[in-house]
Formats: sequence, C-alpha cells, structure tokens
Amino acid sequence: MTSTKLYTAIYVVLFVLATAQVAVERAGYLSEAYWAAFAVIMVLSAIKALFVVGYYQHLKYEPRSVSFVMLGGLLAVLALTFAAAYSIS
Amino acid sequence: MSDDEATRPDGGASDGHAQADGGSAEAAGNPVTPEVPAVDHDTGGFFETDGLPDSASIKRWLVTTNHKDVGILYLATSLFFLVFGGVLALLMRIQLWVPRAAGEGILGPVAYNQAVSAHGLLMVFWFLSPFAFGFANYIVPLQIGAKDLAFPRLNALSYWLYLFSGLLYGVSFFQGSAFSGGWTMYAPLSVPSFLPSIGATTSVLALVLFVASVTIGSVNFLTTMHRMRAKGLSIRDLPLFTWTILLTVWMMLFAFAALLAALMILSSDRLLGTTYFAQTNDAGSMLWTHLFWFFGHPEVYIVFFPALGVMAETFQTFTGRRIVGRKWFIGAMILVALQSFGVWMHHMFLTSINLQAKTLFMATTIGISLPFDLMVFALIYTLVKGDIRFKTPFLFSFGALVLFIVGGITGVFLGAVVLDYEFRGTYWVVAHFHYVMVGGVTALVGGLYYWFPKITGRMYDEFLGKVHFAMYFVGFNLLYFPMFVVWETPRRVFAYQSSFAPWHQIATIGGFLLGSSFLVMFYNLYRSVWDGEIASDNPWEYASTAEWTIPSPPPLENFPGIPDYTDGHLSFRDDSADAAADGGVVDTASGGGELAHETGHEDHHVSHASIWPFVVGVGSFLTLLGASGFRNGSLVDGGMGGVYLGLLLTGAVVTLGSLVAMTVEPFHGPDVTHSEKWPFDGVENTKLGMWIFLASDVVLFGAFIGSYAFVRVAYGWQDWHHLIPAAHVPLPGLINTYLLLTSSFSVVVAMVAAQKEKKGWLLGSLVTTFVLGVAFLVNKALEWQHLFHVHSEAFPQGWDLSTNIASSTFYLTTGLHGAHVAVGLLITLYMIVRAARGAYLGNDEPIEYFGLYWHFVDIVWLFLFPLFYIL
Repeated sequence: MTSTKLYTAIYVVLFVLATAQVAVERAGYLSEAYWAAFAVIMVLSAIKALFVVGYYQHLKYEPRSVSFVMLGGLLAVLALTFAAAYSIS
Repeated sequence: MSDDEATRPDGGASDGHAQADGGSAEAAGNPVTPEVPAVDHDTGGFFETDGLPDSASIKRWLVTTNHKDVGILYLATSLFFLVFGGVLALLMRIQLWVPRAAGEGILGPVAYNQAVSAHGLLMVFWFLSPFAFGFANYIVPLQIGAKDLAFPRLNALSYWLYLFSGLLYGVSFFQGSAFSGGWTMYAPLSVPSFLPSIGATTSVLALVLFVASVTIGSVNFLTTMHRMRAKGLSIRDLPLFTWTILLTVWMMLFAFAALLAALMILSSDRLLGTTYFAQTNDAGSMLWTHLFWFFGHPEVYIVFFPALGVMAETFQTFTGRRIVGRKWFIGAMILVALQSFGVWMHHMFLTSINLQAKTLFMATTIGISLPFDLMVFALIYTLVKGDIRFKTPFLFSFGALVLFIVGGITGVFLGAVVLDYEFRGTYWVVAHFHYVMVGGVTALVGGLYYWFPKITGRMYDEFLGKVHFAMYFVGFNLLYFPMFVVWETPRRVFAYQSSFAPWHQIATIGGFLLGSSFLVMFYNLYRSVWDGEIASDNPWEYASTAEWTIPSPPPLENFPGIPDYTDGHLSFRDDSADAAADGGVVDTASGGGELAHETGHEDHHVSHASIWPFVVGVGSFLTLLGASGFRNGSLVDGGMGGVYLGLLLTGAVVTLGSLVAMTVEPFHGPDVTHSEKWPFDGVENTKLGMWIFLASDVVLFGAFIGSYAFVRVAYGWQDWHHLIPAAHVPLPGLINTYLLLTSSFSVVVAMVAAQKEKKGWLLGSLVTTFVLGVAFLVNKALEWQHLFHVHSEAFPQGWDLSTNIASSTFYLTTGLHGAHVAVGLLITLYMIVRAARGAYLGNDEPIEYFGLYWHFVDIVWLFLFPLFYIL
C-alpha cells in the first residue's frame, strides 16, 4: 500500500471512529450503563490517538526511545491524575 | 589503599573503566596531557570570531549565542538574584530580632509577607537553578565534546526569558505589592479576593515566563546531551557533573510542565475570572497543592542534583581518586530521578487526603532516602580511600556534604506522618530545607571556585577563598541550627514566643555573617579576574574531565579539532579531513594546524550571534506586564488600563515580529556529523527537539485534563451535569473533530506533496489546512457565543467563565487548545507564503516537524471531545 493510500485509509478509520463515539451516546448507552459506555468511548479515543501518533506522526518508524519519552510524559500525568483523584476518595 | 589506586585520576581499576570520566588515561603526576596546540590569545586562537563583537563591548553580550558566554550571563545574573533574595532575608532577620507586634520594626506586615514570598521564589527559581545552569551551559558542552548546544539561539532565548522574568518580578513590587502569599502560593490565598494587587498577578506571570525559559532550556540540553557527544563517549561514561545535569533536565522537562499548568490556571483565575481555586470543596485548595507539589518535589532534586555533580567532580579531583562505586552512584541518581515523581503527597500530610494515600506516600518517601544513603556513603568512602587536598572548592563541597547529611536526616522526621503533624508549619521545616537547599548552594559555590580558573583564565586567591569558607560555614550554622532548637516558632510570620528571642538573635547574627562572607567572595573574584595569577589549562592535579584539556578560557569553538574517544582517550581529530581517522592530532607546528583547520571550517561554520533572542525577551516582558492589568477579563479602571493595553499590544507585536525575524535569519548550528547519538540515532536534532517539547506539552495538557478530572471527581462525576446548560450535546464537538481530523490529513498530504515535489498540491493542502483550522476556531467562537448568552432556568445570566467550576474548566481547557490551534495557524500562514515562493519541494522536513505539532493538537482534541461534549 502506498503511503498516500495508507494515510487515506487511516483518515477514513478516524472519521468512522469519531462518529462511532457519538453513536454510542445517541444510542442511549450512556444513560443505561454510564461507566461501560464511558470506557468504550475513551478506548475509541485512545485508538484514534494511537493511529495519529503511529502513522501521521510516524512514531511507528522512529527509534523506540522516542516512544519511551512520550510514554514517560503520559505516565507522569496519569500517575498525577489517578493518585490525586484517589487521595480525595 | 594501594599506591596504584591513589595515583590514578580515574581511580579504581575495580570495574575496569579507566575511562569512565571521559578523561585522559595519563597516570598521576602528569595531569592530563592535553593534545592541544598552543593558542595564540592575541589573534583569538584557532577560530575566527564570526562577527561576534569583543567581550569588552556590551553588544557582544546582547547578541551572543555561544554557550560559554550564555553560561557567564547565567552566573552573573543568578548572583544578582542571590543578592536580591539575600537582602530580603536579612530584612526578615532584622524584623525577627525580637518578637514584635504588627507595624513595629523595619517591615510592616504586608512588607514582611512580600519579603518572605519573594525571598523563597527568587532564591529557588531565580538564583539556585540558574546558578547551576550557568555551570551547565559553560561546562557540559566541554565535557561531552560539543562545540555548542544543539540550538544556540534558543539557548540565548532561555537566558533572556530568564532575565526578563526576574525583572518582571522586580517590577511587581511597584504595582501595589508583589505576591505575598508565601512561595508555595497556596490556594485559595492566591486568588484576587485575598491578594488583590496587580503586583501579585505580575509575580505569577513572571513565574510563567521563567517556566517558558526552563522548558526551552530542557529541550535544548536534552537534544544536545543525547545527540552531540564526542565519538566514543557513551552516556555511561559521561562525567558525573554532566550526568547530574542530564538527570536534572529530564526531571525539569516533566516537572515544570505541571507547574506551568498550575500557574496558567492561577493566571486565568486572576486575569480572566475562572474559578478553579475559589471552590469551597476539597478541590479548591487541593488542586493547587497536588499540581504544585507534583512539580515541587522533583524540584528539590532539580536544585540539588547539580550540586551533587559538583561534589562528585571536586571530590574526585581533590582526593585524586575516582568516586567509589561509580556505577552504583549513577544508578542511585537515576532511581532518585524516577522516584522523585512519586513522593509529592508527603507535602500534604496535613491536608484532607485520605489515610491510605498518606501511608503510601510515607513509604515512598522513606524509599527515596535509600539511594541518597548510598550516594552519601560513596562520597564519604571516596574521601577515606583518597588523598585529600583542602583547596577552597573541596572545602565547600565537603561542607555541603556535612550540611546535606543534617538536612537529610531532619527531613526523614517530616516524612513520618505523625511527626509531620507536629512539625508542619514550624521552623523545623524552615531549618530542614535550608540545610538541604543552601547545603546545595554550598557545593555550587565550590563549583564557582573550581571552574573560575577555567572560565576566566585566572586563579582566585586561595587564602581569601578559605576565609570565605570559614565565614560561610560558621555563619550558615549559626543561622540555621538555632531554628531546629526553637522549632516551635511558627513559619512565615514574624510573631513568636519571647523566650525564643536569644536563639533568633543568634540566627540573625549568623545570617549577617553568612551574607558578609559573600562580600569576601565578590572581592576575591573581582580582584582575581584582573590581577589573579594566570591559570594553566589544568590548574588542578588529577582533574580528569575534558574541560581541563583545553586552554583557560577555552577558545570560541572550544576544541582544536573534533573531539574523539574511540581509541580510549580524548584526542582531537583534524576536522578538515576525515583522513585523520586514526584520531590524529592537529599539527601544531608553525600555524600548520590553523591552516588545516580553516580549510575544513567552511563546511560547518557555526554562527554565534543573533540579536533576536534578546528582542523576544523584551517583547515577552512587555506582553506580560501589559497582561497584568487585567482582572476578571477586563482592564483595570482609569488611565492605567490604557497603559497596560498599550504595553500588551506593543509586546505582542515585538514578540511576534522578532520570532519571525529569528526564523528568517540565516543561522548555522553546530555540526553533528561526528557524534554519538544514542539513543536517538536517526532522529535529526530539530525533530528530536520537537518530540521532547511535545512530551512536555503532554504533561501540560495532561495536567489540565487531570485538573478537570480531579475537580469533577471532587464534585461528583455525574452530578457535574447539573453545572452545564445541557449534558451530552456532542454535535459542535463532532463537527470540530471532523474539521481537525481532516486538517491533520491535509498536513500529511502536504508532506507527501513536498516529497514528490508537486507545488500545486503542496500549496493546496496547506491552504486547506489553514481554512479548516480557521473553520474550527469560527465554530468554537459561535459555540462560545451561544453559551455565553444562554437563557435557561438554571443559568438565567448565561454560562460564562465565572459561572461555575464546570464552565471554568470547559472554557480554559478548550481555550488553551484553541490557542494551540491559533499558533499552528500562524505557522501555517508562514509556510504558505514560503511554499508559494517554492520552498519545501524535495525538502519536506519543515512540514513534517510542523505536522508533529499539528497532529499533537489534533490528538489532544480527540480526548477533549468526549470528556467535554459526550461524557
């Protein structure tokens, strides 16, 4: 697959996934089972993000060390967010 | 101790790394043999000065981008802030001579609060780290064998933003009053209802500018240290000072991004009228403490690590022995750097965090003391095994070790939850952290004496140096030790029990002794710069790092050739020809080397001068000073409002114009062809810089999103829906998602078009990106306009920034994202103009790097969309 075709295919996937997130809400899942729907919607966002990072930003083709740097930042804020939220539970 | 051990500069053969410090392997007695040609100081040495004015002219210091000049600027400026912060401290000590009622004594109540706050902020931010970074700027490139930092103009920019941020803080004293809520700036005391002065806002904005400087510096140092080491110099073999700076900048990158988030939210509360810190539930005050200490604890090590690096270097040099357990010492530092992000709640034992969190963080706090024990013992054992020479730099470093041990042990008390209940808010804390922080300063002062001959080419006066140390050490302990004795004195205020007065008087005397010891230092160093004995390349026996193999002071481009460690010791390859693959030494005879050098010099000629970093600094200063005139989204009343607006607009024009000028200006950074690049081989410098910057932006946005999650959890995640006009309205967000995704795709198309050299496509897709970005902002503006003027039962007055915490988080978080989009659009516009003139064809890198930023902004939106529109 040429790069242009690959990029276009990813664009279509991103478009569909964004629509799917709203579809989950429109279908009423959020009012039926809030946290399950919450998880589905956030996972869809994460998948989209991975596509953009991996292919549009070419992280897939960079040395792993660059991914680790980004992962380091991500882990730091996740630790902050979850520990802070837990501390007031 | 065997003779063998004592006589090797690099110490032990124990782990088979005779080259660990990247030094020369020459045996003792022969302090490093510099394979360096003699320098002709009169003609400027080997290197042309590249249009850089002479160091006697002021212009030189405004335009220089050379790392050594910038290092000197950092050192001089940080010493100015030491005096600034130090005078404030002495004023406080005079006030504390006896317990007084408010209004008595030299400082009024508000003046005292300003002095306490400014002393803390100036010393921690504007003195300590920049002092260490003066050395880092000067020494690190020399130790790793680089001609300069990766981005010399950004390095100068870091300095100017630092200087102007400090000046901005100074100005805040003249705008009513400077920030007076303590250096930790706890909420809700920090919001305008309690600290209404404009000066308090300016102090906060000064910190924002300081953090910008730090972030740029971190990106620069990380790129440099990872990709510009001399051939054969692995990370493992870096000298210990460079090691500490490496770990420091990694911590800075992530920690300061969290502080930036906290400061931006505080600025927004003060300028725009959002209500994050005015909340009355858990979230109001706790949000600040979480963000601040998530930064604040790593900051302790950010400040202390460079001092540790100086201690390690000087201990090795002045004991003639390599540090004991070098590998373990480095391993311990790496552990501390990682652990430092997992201990922040020990600053919050007296807040309403739950007992489980307290217990967990008590355990991690004890955990972080363990690697430090290892480092302390490694240093002590190095002394035991070595042959100590009591020169001034060593005295200060040794003093620092003693002080740090006292500071460390007294800190363990505070890490225990039950003891902290008693000690919190008392002078125990004040004494403890001064023993640690000023303990670190002690080592850095040692560093100043240690590198003074390298930087100036002159020796300082050893006797006066020792006098300085004696006064300093006695003064220090007279000042801070009594604080442990009368630890029940309440912190931050000037009232205390009268029976404590004698101890406070001893402390005041100690404070003046400590302060006056610096007069001795300034006199000594000032005299020595002019009259000191000429220093040789390496005035210290056994100093083994690379900066001692070149002249004092080093020539503009540092080395007489390309530094190389591949055959086990430092040599300089002739950079005119790769033929010298054997690590050949530059031919020094009769100027031959100079000629040979010049031929190759044309190929990677390095620039050293640009005025634009300075101008950006001026612009930023004016912009933020102008911004300080806002309160709740509108200007202060009267004529001053117009003045502030004028400053803001002028500053914005100057900043933007100078950034464009800097982009257009031809400038050549140092060549990286011959360097070690682990672990970032194949990621070009600018690209790596962009990625590292994005990592800090992940933390910035993450902290914003985390703050939103935190306040929403505190409020009740699903009850939150009562705070917004209508829950689950995804349509405006979905449209914007489509717009941004499409714009990401068009940037990718632009990159492909540039690769394939199709100008029409390139222009078309860049214009498409611009139009889509504008559409995104227009859609957002329409949505905001609608929300501002919503009329519902729950929100009869509309839903604006100040309505409630949900509106505050919504507007600020999506607004920050919108600002990122706007910046991206400005860059797009610039690229459209250049592309129309035929740029980028066959050279898609600029578009790729811009794409990294633009896609990142897209990704952030992918998470803001569900969080703010669906859930």
